[in-house]
Amino acid sequence: MADKALTQPTAGTAARNVDGYALFWGLPLALWQLVFFVAPLVFLVVMTFWTVKNFRLTPDFDTVNWVNMFSKGYVIDTYFRTLWYGALGAVVCSVLAFPASYALAFKASPVVQRIGLFMLITPFFTSYLVRIYSWQAVVSDNGVLNNLLGVFGLGPFNILGTLLGTMVGYITLTLPLVILLQFFSLSGVDRNYIEAAQNLGCGRLRTVFLVIIPLAKTGIILAGTFAFILCFGDLVSPTSLGSSKPPTLSILIVDTVKQGNNWPRAAVVALMMVLTLIVVAFTAIFFAYRVKKEKT
Amino acid sequence: MSEALLVLDKVVKRFGEHTAVDGVDLQISKGEFLAIMGPSGCGKTTTLRMIAGLEQPSAGEIRLNGTRMNELKPWQRDTPLVWQNLALFPHLSVLKNVEFGLKMRNVAARERRERSMNWLERMGLAEYAGRNIAQLSGGERQRVAIARALVTEPEILLLDEPLSALDAHLRVRMQSEITQLQKQLGITFAYVTHNQSEAFAMASRVAIMNGGLIQQIGSPREVYRAPANHFVAEFVGSNNILSGTVTALEGGQVTVQTAWGSFNAPTPEPAPKTGDALELVVSADLVAVSDSAGAEGNVLSGELISEEFIGSIITLYIDIGDGIVFRAQKQQHELDALDYSSGRKLFASWRPEHTYVLPQI
Amino acid sequence: MSADRLIAYALRGWFLVALFFIFVPIIINFIYSFSPSRFPTLPLGGFSTGWYELILNEAPVPRAFGNSLKAGVIVAVISTFIGFAAAYTDYRYRFLGKNFYLALALLPPTIPVLILGLVMLMFLSRVSLVGELYSVVLAHVVYCIPFAMALIRLRLAQMNPDLESAAWNLGANSWRAMREVIVPFTLPSIFAALALTMAVSFDEYLIAFFVGGLTETLPVRVLALLQGQVSPRINAIGSVVFTISMSLVILAQILLLTRRSGGRSIAAGGK
Repeated sequence: MADKALTQPTAGTAARNVDGYALFWGLPLALWQLVFFVAPLVFLVVMTFWTVKNFRLTPDFDTVNWVNMFSKGYVIDTYFRTLWYGALGAVVCSVLAFPASYALAFKASPVVQRIGLFMLITPFFTSYLVRIYSWQAVVSDNGVLNNLLGVFGLGPFNILGTLLGTMVGYITLTLPLVILLQFFSLSGVDRNYIEAAQNLGCGRLRTVFLVIIPLAKTGIILAGTFAFILCFGDLVSPTSLGSSKPPTLSILIVDTVKQGNNWPRAAVVALMMVLTLIVVAFTAIFFAYRVKKEKT
Repeated sequence: MSEALLVLDKVVKRFGEHTAVDGVDLQISKGEFLAIMGPSGCGKTTTLRMIAGLEQPSAGEIRLNGTRMNELKPWQRDTPLVWQNLALFPHLSVLKNVEFGLKMRNVAARERRERSMNWLERMGLAEYAGRNIAQLSGGERQRVAIARALVTEPEILLLDEPLSALDAHLRVRMQSEITQLQKQLGITFAYVTHNQSEAFAMASRVAIMNGGLIQQIGSPREVYRAPANHFVAEFVGSNNILSGTVTALEGGQVTVQTAWGSFNAPTPEPAPKTGDALELVVSADLVAVSDSAGAEGNVLSGELISEEFIGSIITLYIDIGDGIVFRAQKQQHELDALDYSSGRKLFASWRPEHTYVLPQI
Repeated sequence: MSADRLIAYALRGWFLVALFFIFVPIIINFIYSFSPSRFPTLPLGGFSTGWYELILNEAPVPRAFGNSLKAGVIVAVISTFIGFAAAYTDYRYRFLGKNFYLALALLPPTIPVLILGLVMLMFLSRVSLVGELYSVVLAHVVYCIPFAMALIRLRLAQMNPDLESAAWNLGANSWRAMREVIVPFTLPSIFAALALTMAVSFDEYLIAFFVGGLTETLPVRVLALLQGQVSPRINAIGSVVFTISMSLVILAQILLLTRRSGGRSIAAGGK
C-alpha cells in the first residue's frame, strides 16, 4: 500500500488516506458483488449439505447429497461426458478458428481487419438462444439443409439429436470469441520472427507450427479455455440440438431441480462444475504463461 | 528580516522503505528563477510535487509566505505546475484549457475568456484558441501549458522538465522564451531539470540534488567554479578530479602529491594540514594541451585515447594511468598546431590558481 | 498463380466460411420470420408479416418485450455506474486485497449462466427477493458489471495519468476533476458500456428464467416457446431481438471507434 507512489509516481498519489471520495467509487462494486455474487456462491456450498425432508428443504449438515450423487454411475458418466464434450468443443472450435484468425491477422488489410472484428463482435452479443433455434430449423431431418441437399439427391442426414448437432451449437456459441482471442495474440506476433524463420529456410507449415503457434500460444490456450468454459456450462445446445440424449451436467441440474425438486443435489452438481472450471482455468493459465516465459 | 516566499524546512518524503527526499532545506525568494538539478531519482521531481501538494511530506514543513502548507490539498494552493508531458486536456479546446484554472476558481465566464485570451495573445496563440490540442505543434503546446499555468497569476510557477520532449532547436528557443517571460512577469519560477546547460542558461540560482539531499545551492557560476563536494564536481561541467595528499603549505599555496605528479593550488578556507587527503578539481576548459613538456604550472602527461567534437569545441580524452581519463576542452582552432591522433603522448597543463581544492568533509 | 497467393485466397475463403457459419442462423431467422408457412421449407412459400402480427397480439410477448426493455435499461444504468466506479478505483488506487477486488469484478462471466441463475435463485428466494423484475435486475447487474468495467478501464488506460493531477493542480477538487476531466474523457466508453450491458441483459435468458419467476423477459418467453413445439413465432420474436441487440452492440462499437483522439500520445516522449 505504501509503495503505491513509488511504482506509479504520477497517478493517484494523493490518495494517502481513505476518504469519502475513494469509498464512493470503491464500495459499490464490492458491496454489490459480495451480496449478489459471493454470498450466493457461499450459499451454494452450504446448500450442498442441506437435506430434503418431506419435500421441504431443511438446513442441515449432512453429506448425504454428496454420497448420493457420487455413488450414482450415471452422474459420474455424465460428468466425464460433459468434460469430454467441453474438451471436444474447445479443440474443434480452436482448430476451425485458427485458419480464420490467421487469415484475419496476416492476410487482411487494416480496413478489412476492422470490418472483420466488427462482424465477429456483433453476433457474439446477440441472442444465442434464437440462433440455436434457427439452427434447429436448418439441420432438422426435413429442415433447410436436408431440403437443399435433397435437390442434389443427397441425404437426408440426421444431425439433430446427435453429437454433431451439439457441436454445431457449441461452435455457434464459441467461434466468434475464439477467432477474436486468437486474432489478438496472432497480431501480437512480431513479423520479424516470421521473416527470420522463412529466411532461414523454414517452410510455410513449419513456420506456422514452429514459430507462429508457439509465439501466440498464450492467446490460443486462453481462447481454447474460454471455449471450454462456455461449452462445459452450456444448456441450450445439448438440449435443443443434441435433444438431451445423452444428458450433460447442465441438463442433469435442470432435471434434478425440475423433476426431483432436489435443490441440494443440484447444488452438488453445480459445485462440481464450478470447481472443475476453476481447476481448468488455473491449469490453462499456468500453461499459457509458463510457455510464454520460456519463449521470451 | 522577513522570510523568503517559499521555504522548505527539513522536508522528508518516504515511499515505504525508500526515502526519496531526505531532509531538504530550501528557500526560494520572490522573483527568482531557481533550477533544481540532479540525476534521475535524486528527489527533484518529488520535491516539486510536494510544493504543489501532489505528495505530502513525511516530515518537515513547507511554508508559502510564512504559512504552513503541508495539509493543504493540491486544489487549495496556487502553485501551478507545467508538466513534463504537459498534461493538456485533450477533450478541451486551447481556450478551454487555458480557462480551466479560472473556471475552477469560479471566475465569471466573460472575465475568464478575456483573461485567457490575453494570455493566448501574449504567447502568440490567439488564432489557435478554438483548436484542438492535437492540432498543435510541440512548441505551441508548450506555450498553451505555460499560459494555462499562469492565467491565475500565481506567485510561483513550478516547471517539471517541460522541455524534455522537444527537439534540440526548439528547446533552445523555448529556453530563452521562458527566461524572458520570467523577467517580464517577475514571478518566481522553480524549474526542475536534469539538463545542466538548461539550468545554467536559465536560472539565477541552481540547487544540485542527489540521494534526496541538496548538495549545493548557488549561482550557476559558483556551482560551476566552486563545487561544494565530489558529487557536484563530477555532475557539473566537465571537471577532472585528482586525489592526493598535502605535502606543503606556503605563500597561500598548497602543494598536493598525487599519483600523477605534484600540483600546486590556492590554499582553501579552512586551511588543511600537511598529510591531509584532498581532492583537486580542474575544469576541462582551463587545461592547455601540448605535445612537449616544459609548460609552466601544473603539468601531467598521458596517452590520447579519443577525441570528441561538439560544434567548434573539441574534447580530448587523455589516459593518465590508474584508471583516470583526463579531459581537456578546447576551441578547435586552438589545437590547429597540435597533432592529436590517438595514441600520442600529450602534456596537459593548467595554472595553479585554476586548481580548485574540494572542501574536506 | 503462385502457391503463396493460392494459400492466401484459401485462408481468406475460410474466414468467409466462418463468418457465413456465424451469420447463417441469423439470416435464416430473418428470412423465415417472413414466411407464411409453419415449417422451414424450400423454396420459400411467399411473403407474409403474419407472424409479427401474431406476436403483437399475443399478450405475453409484448409484455415480455416491455419487461426486457425495462430490465435492460435499469441494468445498463446500474452496471455501467458500478463498472465505471470499479474501473476508476482500479485505475486510481492501490490497496490491500486489490486482486480480490478485481476478481469480484471480473469473475462472473466465467461461471456458466445456468449456475449463476441457479445460485441466485437459491439465494434470492431465501431472502425473498425472487420472482419480480427487480430480481432479474439484481442478478443481471452482477453479470453485466465486468463488461462495463472492461470497456471503461480500457479507455482510462488510454488517458495520460497526469491529467487528473493537472486538474487538481489548477484548482479542481477530486469531485470537480472527476466531472471536468475523467467523465468527459471516458464518455464514449460510458455510452458504449450502456449499450453493451443493455444488449447483454436484453439477451440473457437463463438467469432471467430462474429468478424472474412469472415475470418473463423476452428471451425467457422464447425459451418457453422453444420447449413447446416448433413455432415460427420465434422467428419473428428472434428478428426483433436480433435487431435490438445488434443495434446496441453496433452502437457500442461505433462509440468506441470514434473520438479515439487524445490519449497518452499528446506529448511525444513524456517519461
